[in-house]
Amino acid sequence: MSSKIISPFNRVEGDLDVEVKFERNKVVDAKIISRLFRGIEIILKGKNPLDALVITPRVCGICGASHLYASASALDMIYNAEVPINAIRLRNVLSMAETCQNDLRHTYFMFLIDVLNNKYRDYANFEEVIRRWAPIQGSSYKECFRWSKKYTEVYAIFGGQWPHGSAIVPGGITADPLPNEIQRAISILLDIKRNYLEKVILGGPIDQFLDTVKSYNDLLQWAEDYKEGDLAKILEFGLEANWHKLGYGSGIMLSYGHLPIEEYVGIPRKKYFKPGIYFAKEKEYKEFDQRNVLEFVNSSYYIYSKGDQAGLHPFEGETNPNLDEKNKNKYSLTKCFRYKLDGKLIAPEAGALAMLTVSGNPLILDLIDKIGPSVLSRVIARLVRVLIYNELMLQELNSFEFGKPTYKKPSEVKEGMGYGLVEAPRGALGHWVVVKNEKILNYQIVTPTQINMSPEDPLGNKSHMALALIGTEVSDVNNPIEVHHIVRSHDACMVCNVHMLKLI
Amino acid sequence: MKTILWLQGGACGGNTLSFLNAENPDVLEFFSYYDVKVLWHPSLSLESGDKVRELLNNIVDMKINLDIFIFEGTVVLGPNGSGKFNMFAGRPMKDWVNEISKVANYVVAVGDCASFGGVPASEPNPTESTGLQFHKKEKGGFLGKDFRSRKNLPVINIPGCPAHPEWIITTLSMIINDKLTEEDLDEYQRLKIIYSTTTQFGCPRNIYFSYKVALKEFGHREGCLYFDLGCKGSYTKSPCNVILWNKQSSKTRVGTPCFGCTEFDFPTFNFFVTEKNRSGIPKRLPLGVSRGAYTTLSAVARASAPEFLVKPLIKKKEDRGNWLE
Repeated sequence: MSSKIISPFNRVEGDLDVEVKFERNKVVDAKIISRLFRGIEIILKGKNPLDALVITPRVCGICGASHLYASASALDMIYNAEVPINAIRLRNVLSMAETCQNDLRHTYFMFLIDVLNNKYRDYANFEEVIRRWAPIQGSSYKECFRWSKKYTEVYAIFGGQWPHGSAIVPGGITADPLPNEIQRAISILLDIKRNYLEKVILGGPIDQFLDTVKSYNDLLQWAEDYKEGDLAKILEFGLEANWHKLGYGSGIMLSYGHLPIEEYVGIPRKKYFKPGIYFAKEKEYKEFDQRNVLEFVNSSYYIYSKGDQAGLHPFEGETNPNLDEKNKNKYSLTKCFRYKLDGKLIAPEAGALAMLTVSGNPLILDLIDKIGPSVLSRVIARLVRVLIYNELMLQELNSFEFGKPTYKKPSEVKEGMGYGLVEAPRGALGHWVVVKNEKILNYQIVTPTQINMSPEDPLGNKSHMALALIGTEVSDVNNPIEVHHIVRSHDACMVCNVHMLKLI
Repeated sequence: MKTILWLQGGACGGNTLSFLNAENPDVLEFFSYYDVKVLWHPSLSLESGDKVRELLNNIVDMKINLDIFIFEGTVVLGPNGSGKFNMFAGRPMKDWVNEISKVANYVVAVGDCASFGGVPASEPNPTESTGLQFHKKEKGGFLGKDFRSRKNLPVINIPGCPAHPEWIITTLSMIINDKLTEEDLDEYQRLKIIYSTTTQFGCPRNIYFSYKVALKEFGHREGCLYFDLGCKGSYTKSPCNVILWNKQSSKTRVGTPCFGCTEFDFPTFNFFVTEKNRSGIPKRLPLGVSRGAYTTLSAVARASAPEFLVKPLIKKKEDRGNWLE
């Protein structure tokens, strides 16, 4: 058996080490090791609850708006805030604009450039994909550079700046846009739609794609009809490279749901994308209940007062970092996420694929039925989400009612508990907050990368990412590009992953 | 040709993402116009693992010339000075930073974290984080107050959380053209041409500031955020309302207060609140204004406020218009 540690594992957000054990060319064990700790939540302790709106976006430079949205949602709940519909629409636009920026940049800058790998030199369309996807030089790489930042312009119109705007506040949003600003954002989105998404990504009309492509077969047909789009090329290349047989993982999809549809007080009831858990093999859907979220530290560099076997809900959790390198069971600065279901601990997958599956998107449901949760289905789901979001942003902005409020000041409360659950670019993200005497007593962030890449729980269950790696046959142990594909297909974010610090 | 190495310590990656938003030139054009070779960047480069270690070792051994070392994020010293809260390519990142800073012609701190310690270094500083050459206000930081790079310059700071891409590219282009001298830097080693004015320059709410018309709650275009909502724009050095963000806007333009993220003391906390003394005057006054002068000016200014400014210009349905004062 040979062991290989890939350190640093780049083109993820932050620092990541991946340790894989091989028997001949097959991965027999895998550990994902987070090696960065910033202690954000310790810093928040004792602070004004609103300070979380400034500090938590800084957890992550690429998905700060998701942290902001989760944080404001948790505070909405604590303040029992009434959130006007205009604010909901703009919050949703901010979240979607950031996610589209992420999904494009991830696809082109972080994932697709691995096609340069030696393994693919003899592929028939190698030259074609290099022409499109090579870093710096590739035509689609350059297009992504140009267009992904246009989403940050849409963000800035309502959020002030990207990254690290803080325009979402409990009770609404700080902005108060005029019709010209709404119009400007719509115009940018239409420009992206017509001159980028339809020309480069899709090779055909978005409306037709969203109306007619409802199954894997429809997708294959689309790729046949619109050969010049990157989507068709990714599908073609991915199938040749067996990306559809790579990185199955847990087969359990988790989503917290995303984007409230209607006005609410305290906590949203209905979302465009519903929450839940979906079992891919059994094709079974289950309701999600945040009370079943648990965190363990038996394999992580933290200590619990109840000992290493305990699993704690984020409201009750505790975190004390302790870099005890003599304890061989511990190897990561990431706490272990598990969901308790029918007496078992499950380790699901989170991300665009999980979100669209759980919400019942027919194309994605059929995709994982036909080609499984896989590297290929994850990459496709991420691009499909951009198409859906671009349309939904237009819809939200067109529905914006000028002259109605974007903010209602909530009444002050001295204490309370709240959680904010959103779908960040990388998947289910939750903030759990306890306020006492008008100060933050406890702030817990549980990130999607933590869900995907936790170390083992006390029962020895491995996380989704480890399962996705184990069993993989690589073409070259010294150049295990398949490992890179699997990890990067999840859009790993180690800077998010490292702040599971509790505040007591 | 100039070479750049970009590494991230206790970072969120926000400066990298901000850099990618650059326009005229964008990042790709910038590399090409200025003949820049990026030796390695954590998000943009192909190489992983052993190849990166080899490159870093070659830089440290001066087998590969490094013109500009850009560091993003804090230098993490914890726990207990070991640096093991931030391991990179098999070693504490701080050890790489130390060795690479010695061989680089220029050392650049991008963002508030690398410049001053930023969010991670705020109390109780659980990761023992610090900036490259400052720890908050104190000069010194990780590299020490006497540090000079091979071109005999201290660390060049581009603070901001994140730094604006135009600030980054302007600073880098001056370095690449060997035009940046010590006289171009202010006391916090920031480029004077970028950090000489306050955030308030160009803010559309300035007229409300001048006549002391306060905004009482969020969600409105009118009124100044300084008096009640914690805006630090009148004493923070940044061109956020002159060089707009993402070509579009700024925090204060969308009704979010300035948080002072280009300054050494960011984050100061209790954001969104203006702390006042007993007579109701804000504790932090606009840059360079004395308390006496401010009090006199306020009374006169408020008394002479034009009538159209003290009532909402654009009134919404069911709006009681009680949000201006």
